[in-house]
Amino acid sequence: MKISQTINQSTRFRVLSEDQIEQIYFAALEVLERTGAMFYHEEAIELFRNSHAVVRENHVRVPACMVEEALNFYPRKITLKGRNGKRSLHIQKDTVTFGTGSDLPFTYDRETGERRRTTYKDVNNAAKLVDALSHYDFFMSHGIVSDAPNPQTYDRHQFMAMLEQCTKPMVLTSVDGEGLEDLWKMGCLIQGGEEEFRLNPLFVAYIEPISPLKNDRTAVEKLLFAADKKLPAMYTPCPSSGATAPATIAGMLVQSLAETLMAVVLCHLKKPGTPLIMGGVTTLLDMKMSTYSYGAPELSLASAANTDISKWLNLLMFSTGGCTDSKILDEQAASEQMMNLFYSYLSGANLVHDVGYIDHGTNASLESLVLNQEMMGMVKQFGKGINTDDEHLALDLIEEVGPGGEYVTTDHTFDHWKEWYLPKLQDRSDYETWQKGGSKTMLDRVNERTQELLDTHTPEPLDEKLEKELREVVAAADKRHS
Amino acid sequence: MLTLKELLITYNHKYNSIMSTYLSNISETLISGKGDELKKLIESAVNDGANPGEILNQGLLPGMDAVGQKWKDGDMFMPEVLRSAKAMSNSMDYLRPMLKEGDMGNAGTMVIGTVAGDLHDIGKDLAAMMFEGAGYKVINLGIDQPGESFVNAVKEHQPNILGMSALLTTTMPRMGEVINSLKEAGIRDQVTVIIGGAPVTEEYAGEIGADLYAPNAGSAVEITNEFLQQAQ
Repeated sequence: MKISQTINQSTRFRVLSEDQIEQIYFAALEVLERTGAMFYHEEAIELFRNSHAVVRENHVRVPACMVEEALNFYPRKITLKGRNGKRSLHIQKDTVTFGTGSDLPFTYDRETGERRRTTYKDVNNAAKLVDALSHYDFFMSHGIVSDAPNPQTYDRHQFMAMLEQCTKPMVLTSVDGEGLEDLWKMGCLIQGGEEEFRLNPLFVAYIEPISPLKNDRTAVEKLLFAADKKLPAMYTPCPSSGATAPATIAGMLVQSLAETLMAVVLCHLKKPGTPLIMGGVTTLLDMKMSTYSYGAPELSLASAANTDISKWLNLLMFSTGGCTDSKILDEQAASEQMMNLFYSYLSGANLVHDVGYIDHGTNASLESLVLNQEMMGMVKQFGKGINTDDEHLALDLIEEVGPGGEYVTTDHTFDHWKEWYLPKLQDRSDYETWQKGGSKTMLDRVNERTQELLDTHTPEPLDEKLEKELREVVAAADKRHS
Repeated sequence: MLTLKELLITYNHKYNSIMSTYLSNISETLISGKGDELKKLIESAVNDGANPGEILNQGLLPGMDAVGQKWKDGDMFMPEVLRSAKAMSNSMDYLRPMLKEGDMGNAGTMVIGTVAGDLHDIGKDLAAMMFEGAGYKVINLGIDQPGESFVNAVKEHQPNILGMSALLTTTMPRMGEVINSLKEAGIRDQVTVIIGGAPVTEEYAGEIGADLYAPNAGSAVEITNEFLQQAQ
């Protein structure tokens, strides 16, 4: 018998020490008391006014005690159920799930190669791929439905485009509070009513403040609606270091956390116990091109640190990975996507979104979704860590095979090689075999696989009656806004 | 009352259906790599009067063809393929004494080894196992073999195939020297020479006068069989 053994069941990774997390947390509390935040929403101002917060017109400052009280009321587990009926997405500490990003305005047309506006059909296709690819746990729309009859109702149409081809749980953006309410109604129709939706939510509402420390009307509307209905929601600051946040990562984390904690307090004032998820796309403004970077190593570092903070606060974390600034799917794309995918996974963020983003969040690429499937597989393999029990130490086997022997034909190899990651698209052949197969590049293979999936994958169809009811909600919204 | 002819037809039908069940079971058991089960199956087939040549050509070889195809298609992997190859080679050891001239087709004898100065043997061993799996009788000379041991083995075993491998660029030229030794001994024309190893190329094989080159252990058998078929 051995005593006092520490076994790493998985790989371990952490950026911040507990002392550093405390430094950032106490600094964020200081921001809330000293600097405060702006709220452009009457009900929110009223809620703060009736509390111990200090309100001057739209400016709100909050004492630390309110934050600490509110922090006690947030769930540590949220489980989502897709329209396929599977409670497949467990958002809880140290459990990582991957999903796409949303609302990309442009798309490379697969036939012409031209860059054009993203359409309903494009979102449909992305939905189909996400439904087919095993490492995607949740779906955000990837593209934005720009051919909706009215931009004010695009979110409902987008949800339909997603639902038609994808059975997995989702994260949804919405135009405003009214839009979110329609999405929620549609979600309730799918899950079998408001009560069932509360136990088995189909989606999380994506909401973001405006850095630094501003909360606009539509964001607050959505937040308060989510609080009222116990609808899971994430409040995701998107600060750009050096422009809308300090140029130092620590400073950006302080401000981002202050923005999150403001929402934590507001939701608590509305109704304690909102299934609120912490978030953050914490990156920098490129000082040469003035773009918001999705491929900077600082994005990976700051995001992993933010996840450390979320765990310490017992909050769930919505993070970022699998994304790039590169305009096309190329070497830059693969290297940047791999890096932020890898560290988001190791950090233990609960929902890692933006997987497959190219062109710093403006261009949609179906091939990128397929490429990332392979990379997620690799990353997850690394996270498995190393088993060191007797069977895996293989001492008897080493003795049995002996110097100069071979392992390929042993039962041990037969039993264990399947623990390895099996690449689907990566080529490990020798030169001649590769050459005879047409000297294909990774991109060639990704393209073929993308087309194959689009041609062959058939997601479980929506129930006809249900689909009719959903379309009625969409039609009613279109009528209201016509 | 059945006539004798009718009886014979009935018997033949029964015999044929038993045999075809045996043969397809043998193929399937070989593909799934269950060596012990395969051994029992072949023994009882032989006891029931099955023709060893039929067992080989209509049971085992189609099974190995399927394994090769599955490997190519990515549906089977090396440890599984080698398990089937091992089962095949054990079955061959059992059947070989019972086989008649002509039963064997092309699958004859192979001598294989790693050339002098090179202690690497996994690639060569994998190739050897694949050849055994295809029904060849394989004489594996081992590693670090000087030219004369290749020459002696060819004289002694009369193989139709000689395989050589080198992993190092420094030992690669030894393969050409072996081929020269075969020429000097006047036995170069008796064997088809196939070479392989990481630094070796098809072009290099041509330069040193080898007949065949295989880029990996898996393709060696296929390349050899194709060549022998064309030569016939």
